[in-house]
Amino acid sequence: MSLRSIKVRVSRFNPETDSSSHYQTYEVPFEPRMTVMDVLDYVYENLDPTLAYHSHTSCHRRVCSRCNITVNDKPGLSCHTEVTGDITINPLPRYKIIRDLVVEGL
Amino acid sequence: MSATSSTDVLVIGTGGAGLRAAIESFDQGVSTMIISNGALGKSGATMIAGADVTLDGGSASRIGLTGNELDSEIRFLRDIVIQGYYLNNQKLVEAYVRDAPARTKELIDWGTKYVWDGKRAVISQGVELNRVLVEQVRKRNIVFTDDVYMTDLLIDENSVIGAVGVDINRGEVKSYRAKSVVLATGGWQRAYSFTSAPGGMTGTMHAAALRAGADLVNMEMVTFCPNVILWPPSLKGDIFPYILIEMFGDLLEKHGRPFLRDEYDPLIYRIATTTEWNKLIFSLAATRVVLRGDGSPRGGTYYSIKTVPVNIIDEAEKLYPGWKWLRTDFSSLMEWLKAGNAVEVAPAAHYMEGGILVDEHAATTLKGLYAAGECSGGLFGANRVASAITQILVQGAIAGKSASDFSKKAKLKNVNKTQLDRVHTRLSAPLKRKTGVRAVDLKKRVRKIADDHLWVIRNGDGLKQAVSELESILTRELPRLSIQTQSRAYNKEWIDAIEVESMTQVLLASARSALFRKESRGVHYRSDYPLTNNDRWLREVILRKVHGKLTLTTRPLTITKLRPPQGKFGFEEGILRAVKVLGE
Repeated sequence: MSLRSIKVRVSRFNPETDSSSHYQTYEVPFEPRMTVMDVLDYVYENLDPTLAYHSHTSCHRRVCSRCNITVNDKPGLSCHTEVTGDITINPLPRYKIIRDLVVEGL
Repeated sequence: MSATSSTDVLVIGTGGAGLRAAIESFDQGVSTMIISNGALGKSGATMIAGADVTLDGGSASRIGLTGNELDSEIRFLRDIVIQGYYLNNQKLVEAYVRDAPARTKELIDWGTKYVWDGKRAVISQGVELNRVLVEQVRKRNIVFTDDVYMTDLLIDENSVIGAVGVDINRGEVKSYRAKSVVLATGGWQRAYSFTSAPGGMTGTMHAAALRAGADLVNMEMVTFCPNVILWPPSLKGDIFPYILIEMFGDLLEKHGRPFLRDEYDPLIYRIATTTEWNKLIFSLAATRVVLRGDGSPRGGTYYSIKTVPVNIIDEAEKLYPGWKWLRTDFSSLMEWLKAGNAVEVAPAAHYMEGGILVDEHAATTLKGLYAAGECSGGLFGANRVASAITQILVQGAIAGKSASDFSKKAKLKNVNKTQLDRVHTRLSAPLKRKTGVRAVDLKKRVRKIADDHLWVIRNGDGLKQAVSELESILTRELPRLSIQTQSRAYNKEWIDAIEVESMTQVLLASARSALFRKESRGVHYRSDYPLTNNDRWLREVILRKVHGKLTLTTRPLTITKLRPPQGKFGFEEGILRAVKVLGE
């Protein structure tokens, strides 16, 4: 069992209904060496099934690059970026957002 | 539902098999469309392949590669069939060894960079192969569509006349009319919880083909890669220790003992560490260790290089500068291993020998439907020992040619509205249910069944339980799937619902086939029937839907060149016998 949890701030945006994006914060149990993908999976599976982030054809090998996001303003692949504390996750800037963290053209 | 698009040939899947099929189809002069459940060159198993192309050494030397003049197509075929436990469809193997040189030469002519070539192999990388193939697709007027998850085939008078899928980003059901369809959708490894395969490989089109009336073959045959990383999460599912063990290192049980070396015939150990039999032998030995309670905390074994002198390890770094392999940096893992630690590894679902039944022209048992690459079955029998990259190129080109030939004589048919409505209703049903079962939870249950009963070592009781649990999920749980997410755009719950349905169907097909084959052969090992029985089971297991019911049958082997021996033998004896024959 995890001894501590981290605060995860995720940008939410639905172009069909929202005029601008907003942040939603989730509390996620911390596991050593967990990745941003693990964090997002935890949120989706346990806290909020409506969260959108790219994973359906994810390669997990730094090849497809479709899980690209920014973590604390730094771009990175969610499958390979390890988490050490509280984080803010945004979609990659300058891409058209399909929903939440999923963008067009990646 | 949005409007229907039309094409002569529709290719589903954008790994190497789909890309090569689309190129061939277009070059035969017919309009060609290719659809990806991800993005062109960024989805499917090809992108993460090592990747080697294999061909016989004689042909290799004739096309200007190193090769081996003493080698020949027939020798290559013989090696593939003997190590495939004679279950291989020899007409498919003949096509493989016949076309491998032309496909290899074409790759090189198209500008594929390769790192090394040897007696029977050219080593490149999956990303590089995809780069070249995508470039060839873009040079042609081939229509491509990304992020459409295909789920169903459209049928008219027993012929395939199109397909249906979900546009993931827009959340719309889309239909496509075609004169012929090529399936190139890879394996269904994602039905297991631990796999080396990328997302999206959940057997949606295997399930669609079966529902539409096509035959599946050898669905019990699943290859596991024995030493795939379990932890840390960023490297989970990576096969790098499997690459390393060909050079040095060993797998250990929890007391630190090298179990394969300690417990098996020395010759078996040598075969496992020097030949393509490695996946089969190490997976079985490692699973036995885990089942008897001598595994690691995460349910695997340990890969260690502790006994290897450091300068030998450093020498090997020249092959993988900076300990980078493909696009992943393994330098910190290597430092950790060199310091004497061991990384936890386990057998991961890796390659499917079984799949949609095809003949040597890539034709399935349904008119107008073709299949190429890993989604097809029969080429590698009960154990794959030659390159799956060569498979996708050879079979992709054949399927593209056959599908275009068929399309030239066929007409576009109008889609039956009742049929389309039925598919649409089934796909959208979970969106309309506000309470019920969550697909993400059901996925875990389904994968647990695969992990518990369809892993490396199977037995009758476990397989019966798997069949009954999967049948119950099919009839009781899948009709109750519900989705809370209101937005249709990239609705993860909808993707999970689509995937869990096909996962259940292909696993049921696999469990029923595995229960039916009452023997052990190649990668299919049953503890209740440990002998390979050539007197009774030199037959392929076929699954088909008859009047809505899944029916099992067998057919005799397709033999053209190599006659199998009679008799029954155990696992080790079988390998030692085969080595003796191969060594002659």
